[in-house]
Amino acid sequence: MLSVIKKEFKSYFLSPIGYVFIGLFLLMFSLFFHIDVLQDGYTNFEFIFYSGATILTFIVPILTMRTFADERKTGTEQLLLTSPISLTKVVLGKFIAATLIVIITELFTLLYFGILCFFGTPQVTTAFATLLGFLLLAISYIAFGILASSLTENQITAGALSVGFNILIWFLPRLNPVYSNFSLINLYSKFPEGRIDIADTITFIAFTITCILLTLVVLQRRKSVR
Amino acid sequence: MIEVKNVTKKYGSFTAVDNISFEIKDGEIIGLLGPNGAGKSTTMNMLTGFIEQTEGDIIIDGYNMLKKPKKAKREIGYMPEGVPLYSDLTVKEFVTYMAELKKVDRKVRKEKVQKVIEETGLKDVQRKLIKNLSRGYKQRTSMAGALVGEPKILILDEPTVGLDPKQITEIRSLIKELGKTHTVILSSHILSEVSQICSKVIIINKGKIVAIDTPEKLEASVATNNNIYLTIEDPDNKIDGMKEKIKGIKEIKLVEENEDGTKRYCIESEDNTDLRKTIFAEFAKENITIYEMKKESVTLEDAFMKLIEGGKK
Repeated sequence: MLSVIKKEFKSYFLSPIGYVFIGLFLLMFSLFFHIDVLQDGYTNFEFIFYSGATILTFIVPILTMRTFADERKTGTEQLLLTSPISLTKVVLGKFIAATLIVIITELFTLLYFGILCFFGTPQVTTAFATLLGFLLLAISYIAFGILASSLTENQITAGALSVGFNILIWFLPRLNPVYSNFSLINLYSKFPEGRIDIADTITFIAFTITCILLTLVVLQRRKSVR
Repeated sequence: MIEVKNVTKKYGSFTAVDNISFEIKDGEIIGLLGPNGAGKSTTMNMLTGFIEQTEGDIIIDGYNMLKKPKKAKREIGYMPEGVPLYSDLTVKEFVTYMAELKKVDRKVRKEKVQKVIEETGLKDVQRKLIKNLSRGYKQRTSMAGALVGEPKILILDEPTVGLDPKQITEIRSLIKELGKTHTVILSSHILSEVSQICSKVIIINKGKIVAIDTPEKLEASVATNNNIYLTIEDPDNKIDGMKEKIKGIKEIKLVEENEDGTKRYCIESEDNTDLRKTIFAEFAKENITIYEMKKESVTLEDAFMKLIEGGKK
């Protein structure tokens, strides 16, 4: 599995995708930092992360859209799937590589935390909860993005499907409050308040695992219908 | 050793491969032949475990592909049709990745990768990005990816498509060389290639096996009339009398008159006789000059066409 992680991670930086993702995120994040901190005078780190989550909604699909779609289109999936490596490891390898990119991005945001420390005293525990929530949200988006990518050989379709899905579940509670627990962003919003909710954490992880399992089902099923 | 037992592949109501069975022994070079859409690639994809058969068993070196896929896949090096490659990687990175996927031991990995790169003649381009390589080198890179990890069986889907004649000769001799140490299965459109390289041929049509045999036997199986083609200079038209003079000639037919005054004839002779020596001697006596004499030979192409046509009826 390590080999898949290594290769996938490297691929993010051999193509512009890795740079685009990190760059785009930091650009937007800096924008919100400027508006929230420098213009409006908030000195808490977590506040910017409310906006940070909305950025993720749109840019995680950039990271995941090519994972399986591109392999299918170029035929390299034949190399991957005829190697003596299990499907589970292939899927997990791709998932972990994408997660690593998000973690690197998060590490960059610590710079902003440093800046805030210089001017005030932001709460470390809340910041930690925020970063954890942010990561949980990210892995959920990644897992769904990979599932979407396994469904098609067109990257754009996969990307559009993921963005569409992310926006849909984001706004579901507006249709009817009954759906409030379906909104990943709703669940996430408790983390920047400094609360690490076990139930919510489990929901994120369960969602992620479900998407990964579904991806495996899709890939396995394709073996017999392809 | 590869055993294919009653394998069927269906897509909905369409049967791509219909109940095929064959066995391939160690060290054989097998050619898989068939018109487009006959089920060659489907068969290869099943052998490599890329797709699953609807029915039947595929056993690679004692391991059932469906039940022990990891062990079975470990024995196979696969070069898929159209040579898919990770174009962002360099040749060396690609071969190393393949080695990692095939679980080549870490300690010897570097060494094995280097060995394969040298064997396939990629040493000079190993640091180049795959997307910048010519078609011939891409083919070699794909081959290197298949070879690394020392599989016993090599499965090559159309290995020479899209290459120039020089590259084709190079790849062919590489395959021949590999055939000494590996079991090789290759599919091809080029029949002369198959008859040159392969020790055995499997002909597939419409998902069914039409014939399994050596190229020579297949050619012999469709031997047509025992014909000899002659180009002669015969100013006195003495050829008309030759039918009576030489025993065994069934018929002499004029094929064409050439501009230089020579004529081309087809002599149909009785089965199981080779009249060339007699013709040479008798024609000389009659002052007929022979410019060219050739016994009609049957190629694998003829055998192929006949078998495929036969299937249609």
